[in-house]
Amino acid sequence: MKLIYLFLAVAVVCLSSLALNAAEIASVSGANCSFTSQPDNFAARELRVHRDLVSRVKQLESIPRRSTPAAVSPTSLPQRNFIDRIVFSRMAAAKVSSAPLSSDEEFLRRVTLDLTGRIPSSSDIRTFLSDSSPVKRDILIEQLLNSGEFVDKWTMWMGDLLGNVGSASNVQPGNGGRDAFYNYMRDAIGSNKSFRDVAYEMVSATGDTSDPAGGGPANFIYHQQTPMGPVQDSYDTSLAKSASVFLGIGYYDCLLCHNGRGHLDGISLWGGSVTRADAQKMAAFFSRLNFNMPRTNSDKYSGQYDSWRVLDRASGNYDLTTNFGNRPNRAAIGTVKTLTPMYRDGKEPASGAGYRDSFGKMMTADPMFARNFANRLFKAFFNLGLVDPVDNMDPARLDPNKPPPTPWELQAANPELLEALAFEATRVDFQLKDFMRLIVQSSAYQLSSRYDGEWNIGSIPLFARHYPRRLDAEEVHDALVKSTGVFTNYNVNGPTAPPLQWAMQFPDPNVGGSNLLNSFLRGNRDSAQRSSAASILQRLTIMNDSFITNRTKVSASLTLQAAAKLTDNKAVVDELFLTFVSRHPTADEQSKAVSYLTAATTAAARNSALEDLAWALINKIDFLDSY
Amino acid sequence: MRDKFNFDASQHSGSFFWKRPALGRRTFFRHIATAVGGYYLMPARSWERVASASATPINKAKKVIFILMGGAPSHTDTFDLKVGPWTPQSFNPTQYGDILFPQGLMPNIAAQMDSVSLVRSTRSWAAVHGLSQTWWQIGRNPTQALSKIAPHIGSVVAIEKRSSDTDKTLPPFVSLNTGNGPGTGYLPPENAPFYISPNGGGLPNATNPDGQTRFEARYKLHQGLDNEVIQNSPYGGVTEEMVAFDANARSLMYNPEVAKIFTFDQTERNRYGNTGFGNACITARNLLASNKGTHFVQISIGGWDMHQNIYAPNSLPALARTFDNGLGTLIADLKAAGTLNDTLIVAMGEFGRTVGNPNQASGRDHFLQQTVLFAGAGIKGNKSIGQTDALGAATIDPGWSRNRDVRPEDVEATIYSALGIDWTTIRRDDPTGRGFDYVPFAAEQDLYGPIHELWN
Repeated sequence: MKLIYLFLAVAVVCLSSLALNAAEIASVSGANCSFTSQPDNFAARELRVHRDLVSRVKQLESIPRRSTPAAVSPTSLPQRNFIDRIVFSRMAAAKVSSAPLSSDEEFLRRVTLDLTGRIPSSSDIRTFLSDSSPVKRDILIEQLLNSGEFVDKWTMWMGDLLGNVGSASNVQPGNGGRDAFYNYMRDAIGSNKSFRDVAYEMVSATGDTSDPAGGGPANFIYHQQTPMGPVQDSYDTSLAKSASVFLGIGYYDCLLCHNGRGHLDGISLWGGSVTRADAQKMAAFFSRLNFNMPRTNSDKYSGQYDSWRVLDRASGNYDLTTNFGNRPNRAAIGTVKTLTPMYRDGKEPASGAGYRDSFGKMMTADPMFARNFANRLFKAFFNLGLVDPVDNMDPARLDPNKPPPTPWELQAANPELLEALAFEATRVDFQLKDFMRLIVQSSAYQLSSRYDGEWNIGSIPLFARHYPRRLDAEEVHDALVKSTGVFTNYNVNGPTAPPLQWAMQFPDPNVGGSNLLNSFLRGNRDSAQRSSAASILQRLTIMNDSFITNRTKVSASLTLQAAAKLTDNKAVVDELFLTFVSRHPTADEQSKAVSYLTAATTAAARNSALEDLAWALINKIDFLDSY
Repeated sequence: MRDKFNFDASQHSGSFFWKRPALGRRTFFRHIATAVGGYYLMPARSWERVASASATPINKAKKVIFILMGGAPSHTDTFDLKVGPWTPQSFNPTQYGDILFPQGLMPNIAAQMDSVSLVRSTRSWAAVHGLSQTWWQIGRNPTQALSKIAPHIGSVVAIEKRSSDTDKTLPPFVSLNTGNGPGTGYLPPENAPFYISPNGGGLPNATNPDGQTRFEARYKLHQGLDNEVIQNSPYGGVTEEMVAFDANARSLMYNPEVAKIFTFDQTERNRYGNTGFGNACITARNLLASNKGTHFVQISIGGWDMHQNIYAPNSLPALARTFDNGLGTLIADLKAAGTLNDTLIVAMGEFGRTVGNPNQASGRDHFLQQTVLFAGAGIKGNKSIGQTDALGAATIDPGWSRNRDVRPEDVEATIYSALGIDWTTIRRDDPTGRGFDYVPFAAEQDLYGPIHELWN
């Protein structure tokens, strides 16, 4: 394919005062993403996901769980709901035994972290362990689902998903836009708003991005504004982002440049059959958006904030007339110079209906919407998606009633389970809490991560054990704060707002600057993705950063002050283990820790020993993980 | 193509390999044993990558110092000097071979011009700060799909060069005075930028605030408490990845050789101008001289966004002096140590600034034309690649084989080529499954490539 350079004089939108005479932009024609249709080359990518998982499983393999028996028959486990029926029958059919149910300690730490992003306190643990009620796990789940911390954690989750930031490389929503968006999401989580309504509002909202009364959702589309290209690039980005986030289909980014055939046919049965024009007709739903978003400077949103106005125009379609920008030229197809919207199932907007409004309704009625919702939430609790990576879904390989032609196979690790979860998501009207309750009540979620039978990578899709995860950066921060009882005040929402003390309450991961949070890779929702990877810097940080060493001082830590008052060293060790790693010590751990404390002969030396023990517990293998 | 375990991934059918037991348990565990140890122990990982074009890297350098001048310096006042009535007399324009250079503004760099080449036919893609800074660091359009997983150029260098190191004490990619920005992308975490803002007081967090004695006691206690966990693991060794990182972190702590790299006195600071940038230059020099595994050092120096009063003493003259004291002394020191020929130095802003008469506020605004400074790695000095028009607004002579403006992607390819890395490599391990090309469109369309004219 030959390269053509076109030097064009175009107006460039620049965010500062500038005197740009012209911008030149190369136009790349033809197949412009490197790709081979040889599918075998891509084995490595699933292998990586699974390799990472096996690594995590093994890291946490040997953490002591109280009274955990050996692997059990999957049919012997209580079946709480359809998740268990499907998971355990599949395991039984594969003649693989299951991990037993988690111990109370293991379950309490896991579910508290998963639902609220915090670790349990020592008194939470003692209360829970001594409770003899047969339904105590269900009661705990209700308490957690209705806690304020639940709202903190899932607002952060939604902020990651929808990409809420104050500043990105392509747009500047400012603190006003960020906060309006944040408050919208917080309300949505707090009021258990249907995720279908959230998704519909994301793609269809109008308004001023910083307007605290209703401007929040307009930020989603504003963020899709794409510089250095014609407005069609922004339509394309809007579709690519929406399809990825709400449908689990990441391939529109490919398809908006070129047909799937010859590119995707090795890795997506659906994608191989979709043309660029099909994708552009999907993007045409955004073609009446006024992407020339005027800036508004209203006192209403406080003087320092700028706001951007998201509006629709009365007319306009997707013109096939571009010769520069971020994607290959768009040229007439025969005599067709303009595309009107058509959803991927062939539906078109009703006459007179708003384009984005129609898209919102069609997208949320798409079977992929429910599958995506189910898969993303399944991953949030099981730490591995039924399809993973989660935006890699192949719509043509998911329905067990319509299996794909050979040599294709159904895509999901457990196709029946994904369909059942998608059905259930629709039944509960996409309400997060109801859906999560179902997941965390299941025995499948409550399995131990310890597995004493033969377990290998072939067992991964069976979910015969719980898969561990490293805590997110905010969870690490909050665990350190909560376990030591030493708080820091962060002023992130302007001078008049009360300071925040929990990282999980931050409106976006670019605030509350901290070596600790950054070294645990919270990402920036823009150029850097959140990651649970480990690093040398993390180890140096957790061992030596003043964020930790200042918190492990008796003079500062409420936890250590209380522990210092206990005279029985066994009781001290027990309390500190519960506080930091959410479990009682083993006999070996207890005797070593007690003898370390007992060796201290003066009060000052005992305080130092307490501090050392707290430091050692923070550096223990299990502090950073949910297992 | 076989990896070091004699495993041929191309013979392994199906993307959902667990459904087809082509990967035997024995083969699998050979890999998993490595995976648990981290990508660390699995250098190159050749079965996950292919190089698709037959490109020949020029292979002149072992290490890179990549200097990002955030805010975008005025090219026509610095590296592509255009003398006009606005030019302060103190700039003292002086000719060095091809190059007219503001000797008075940057006397130390001027003294090293025989090692410096300026690529004046460079044109940025975008005049938006954040977008363009990301573009230069990842070598591709940040608004396109792959950018969300794209690693920093330094992370690519890290994964490519790590395998050849015998001493892996230090991280392969160290980023000084940077804070945040593009990172390791989808590549394994040990290739991430290791961020430090050095001040000569040692490596941050490499000592414990409560003292070494206390630390050793704590660490011993910690190891004792974890001992049972380690012994009990059914797999023999717990958490080898964590142990590997932990061991690496420990090897940086209380390590006199490492401490020496990050420790310097006031005399040394003063030689480099006694600034944050100067401290970073000293640290970069020490890092690379130590041969402890660092191949790519980024230094960030911001403040070049001079929309107003660009010639005021505290504006361009002051910042250029900071830059000059650091970089000029660095080049001189590398030259004296005999390591300049192994080290490629690249410095640039994210774009240039408006040309001709300054604006009404006596400043200069955003502009696409710019210049990239190269030094070291055996390049020919006193040399300009490409020429701009009388004002410096546009290229009139590209000065290199592709006969067009030089782009960030070309500079990226130059860095790879200089280090012996095939810039047409396409990795097959990316999470989107489309293949990740080191330099976009380089393999299949030869759209971008290195500026080998630097060495001619």
